Amino acid sequence: MSGKTRYFLIGCVLVTVVGLSIGLVAYYGGVPRALFASSSGPAELKYIPEDAAVVAYANVKQVMTSDLRQRLRQFGGPTDEGRNEFKTETGIDIENDIEYVVAFLGSRQADAATNNTNGLVLARGQFDQARLEAFAKEKGATVEEYKGKHLIRPSVNDVAHSGHERDLAVAFLDTGLIAIGGDVVVKHLIDGPSAGSKSALDNTEMMKLIADQHDTSMWAVGRFAAVSSQAKLPQEVTDRIPPITWFSASGHVNGGVRVMVKAETETDAAAANLGDIVKGFVALAKLQAGNRPEAQALWPSVEMGVTGKTVSLSFGVTTQLIDAMTPKKHDPGTLRKPAPPKAPETPEKPSK
Amino acid sequence: MSTTTPDPIETLPTAAPAMPARPIRQAPPFATAALRVFDLSLSQMLWSRRTIFLGLVVGSPVALGLMLRILDAFGFAGNIRMGGDSVNGSSVFGAMIWLLYLRFLVPVLGVFYGTSLIADEVDDKTITYLFVRPISRTAVLVGKFLAYVVTTIFVVLPSVVVLYLCVQPLGHGSLAEGFLSLLTDLGLLALGLVAYGALFAMVGAAFKRPLVAGLLFVLGWEQLAMALPGYLRKLTIAHYLQALVPHVMPAEGLGSALQSLFRDVPTPTTSLVILFAMTVIFLALAGWLVERREYVLEQ
Repeated sequence: MSGKTRYFLIGCVLVTVVGLSIGLVAYYGGVPRALFASSSGPAELKYIPEDAAVVAYANVKQVMTSDLRQRLRQFGGPTDEGRNEFKTETGIDIENDIEYVVAFLGSRQADAATNNTNGLVLARGQFDQARLEAFAKEKGATVEEYKGKHLIRPSVNDVAHSGHERDLAVAFLDTGLIAIGGDVVVKHLIDGPSAGSKSALDNTEMMKLIADQHDTSMWAVGRFAAVSSQAKLPQEVTDRIPPITWFSASGHVNGGVRVMVKAETETDAAAANLGDIVKGFVALAKLQAGNRPEAQALWPSVEMGVTGKTVSLSFGVTTQLIDAMTPKKHDPGTLRKPAPPKAPETPEKPSK
Repeated sequence: MSTTTPDPIETLPTAAPAMPARPIRQAPPFATAALRVFDLSLSQMLWSRRTIFLGLVVGSPVALGLMLRILDAFGFAGNIRMGGDSVNGSSVFGAMIWLLYLRFLVPVLGVFYGTSLIADEVDDKTITYLFVRPISRTAVLVGKFLAYVVTTIFVVLPSVVVLYLCVQPLGHGSLAEGFLSLLTDLGLLALGLVAYGALFAMVGAAFKRPLVAGLLFVLGWEQLAMALPGYLRKLTIAHYLQALVPHVMPAEGLGSALQSLFRDVPTPTTSLVILFAMTVIFLALAGWLVERREYVLEQ
């Protein structure tokens, strides 16, 4: 074997080994898919327990300043007056002060009887803590200190009015970081991670789904079983739905909004079945839409795919579509002017 | 005093002392002979003009993958669609393995290289020099076959790995997601190269114009047999290779949809056993043909 041949073969082997090594590291170590991306998801994921059923994120600032929101405001929602009043009272400008929120729903179900919520919302932004505490005290809430953090709890009157004990609490975890959730959960968060405790960052499957959501304005990922049990679907329906393990939903606001929903099943066959079901529903929706032009404008953007065990459905709502769906107001200038009254016919004079 | 004349005969110089017997050199064992031929053939095969064709054919999917990756990096790729469905890099990679590698590249490489193992030596009139060596003709064939396997595998597999790195992350795909499929693909392609190579080595040993026969088989018989319902597809290598593919294959229209209704897909174990058996049988047949056939060199 000549030297040239030997070096060529060695080069080929090196290329193969390096490529396989990168794939192996990605497979076991969770290397970001682009190899150059930063760690997936917001930093607040470290506060979320590993067994969280659903985790959600919303880039509030991006959504609030988007063209889409401006168009959607005409359909209702917080008015400018309400927003200003809220800002005056609390010091929080919804549109500018809140950067993003991260929320999770715990693995244990929300117990309606005792109202022990097992979820949390973390909001990152610019908050005037003193003003918020003053507003809370004005409304009768109590502000207590727990391990160096201020905790706002609703007033006794609120408890009496609602008829059951509320365990809601608001805590200022850090400058610009507020936690809103169940009292127990918030205190657990303040306590910090114990030795050996794990966060959502250690949940490989969830982090894989979260990593897919980069560059989106809002997303939610979680175990489908947790959502379906909350939805209290009839047994006949749940028996017929293919076994779905994980789901993810995301929306990217860029002018309009692009929505992507994915469901991961246990087997490829289940994914194929689910894909058929979704196709059927999309076809039914098209049928129901009939000849509505605004609905017809939506269909070209509807995309459905089945890849392995994953079923995905995406569609886009453009600003033009929203404009088309907006009921048009009458322009006074274009009102038809009433027809002038007809001149009465002059009777013929009788001939003499 | 009397002196006797020495007997001239007795005074003749004696013959040189007997040389020790030269050991009769044994022919090298089969494996050694095959490896020697492999060593010789590998460089010849790797740096031949045929390999330029190999490089172009193998480089095309890689160039396509690189182009897609560059377009995606600059934001021009957008949503990649196959059959109207939005797909990610994993599906694109699977489709390229299926359409470019398995259904075209591997059979064509098998034809071009496998048929030339003996045919090239005949055409170049160098086969005589090989066959006069004290090694079995089958060893020559096996050595050349090993050189073909090494040449094609060491060129094709790295290209698949590079393609994987370029294409897999497209469209929110992930390297982790397709890694196990990649390992399966690499094994599958290697097995395909070996099986097709063995078949066309036999064709090359049997026919005078083996390239034509090989192309007819790959582009004619296999396509036809795979399209028709029934048992005919079992007489192809593609039938067993495709049973091992881990990817969900894209539908190519009504024809493939109808095919899928009638497809009797063998189990992976059955496919592996049959492919290995085919390789051994074809190589054995090729060796048998090479041992018994008389290659007449054209003047």
